[in-house]
Amino acid sequence: MSPLREAFVLPLLFMTVALLAGLQIGSPIFFSPPSPFALVLACLLVGVLVRSGTLAPERLLHGRRTVLANSNGAIVLATLFAASAQVLTMLTPSSGLPLLLFDAFLLVLLINTAVTGPDRGPALRSLLVILGSAFLLKFVVLAALSNPEGGGRLRRVLLALFDAATLGTISQDQIPPASAYLAFATIALYIIAVAALPAGASWHAERSTRALAEREMTKIAE
Amino acid sequence: MREPLIRSGGLLASLIYAAFIGWLYVHQPQTFAQVTGGIASTVGAYHIDQPSFADGLQFFRRDQFVESRAAFARADPAEHDAKTQFYIAYSYYRQGWGRLYNSDALFTSGLAAVNKAIAVAPSGRLVVDDPDLQMHTADELKAELERGLQRDISDFNPLRVFRKRK
Repeated sequence: MSPLREAFVLPLLFMTVALLAGLQIGSPIFFSPPSPFALVLACLLVGVLVRSGTLAPERLLHGRRTVLANSNGAIVLATLFAASAQVLTMLTPSSGLPLLLFDAFLLVLLINTAVTGPDRGPALRSLLVILGSAFLLKFVVLAALSNPEGGGRLRRVLLALFDAATLGTISQDQIPPASAYLAFATIALYIIAVAALPAGASWHAERSTRALAEREMTKIAE
Repeated sequence: MREPLIRSGGLLASLIYAAFIGWLYVHQPQTFAQVTGGIASTVGAYHIDQPSFADGLQFFRRDQFVESRAAFARADPAEHDAKTQFYIAYSYYRQGWGRLYNSDALFTSGLAAVNKAIAVAPSGRLVVDDPDLQMHTADELKAELERGLQRDISDFNPLRVFRKRK
């Protein structure tokens, strides 16, 4: 990986993602920090990236590298974690039952991805599906459900009944249209930045290679 | 030679950008003017528009409080000048003050403005030497606004009608 990418491109991309994902458009505009659960999910997500070989931490932090190079690497890792936490917070509804369901949904998907131990390509595709589906659910489905102006009378009656049945835990604050565009751009930027991380061999591939080498050694010994 | 230069530059740029993002999260600016004004005041380069401030002061002294606030807002778009914010808070106090009752909405806005003035004043201490005012410090003004928002038995004292606006 070139020093330019490591020192400039990746940290600035991830910090821009962290900034945009925390920006809550509305009246008033405010910047929201990541939720504690998003920090846990971000740990899992970074773990998935490492296990799949999408991120090779030894190419960012290593005893053989200079202090300056290790500082750049540490900043890439820190900003990757911050951006991941902010993106996951951005994709999670703010309150009620949807918050609980989304957190469970993201947790299960990330654990499932971690357990299957995919290589870099499938892991990136899986990440795209996780973030894309969460985006669709929050900014399209939930936004449509929480929009008081859209739809006809029957839809409003059904929504009111549904809201009453769930003790008002479904409806969310109305999402401004610009938020969806901003979220989409943020996710795209995040995926680009993750794809540009220094890659290595996945744990699964490393284990297979080691097992193969051990078998070969056993055969030679015999 | 070139690689250490790139790495040092990247490190510096990352730290500056991270500090900027941290500043945004701490100060929560609402407008672009507040962002630029806040950054300028951090490096000591923020100045209010003096002609607009003078206009605001003139309106304030003629009890034209809405006009004065418009001029003060023009003078201090970033809401980073303690004295201007103090006058804005004072204008809310004078407009909201009533012999029989005070306007809670105006007093609440005044309290928010005086809190802003205290937040941006050096060490939170603000003294305004203006002979036209009867309260010269942000602490006095804040206490007066808070007293005005409180509900207690003294609100029913008929002698309240004889009190004077400060």
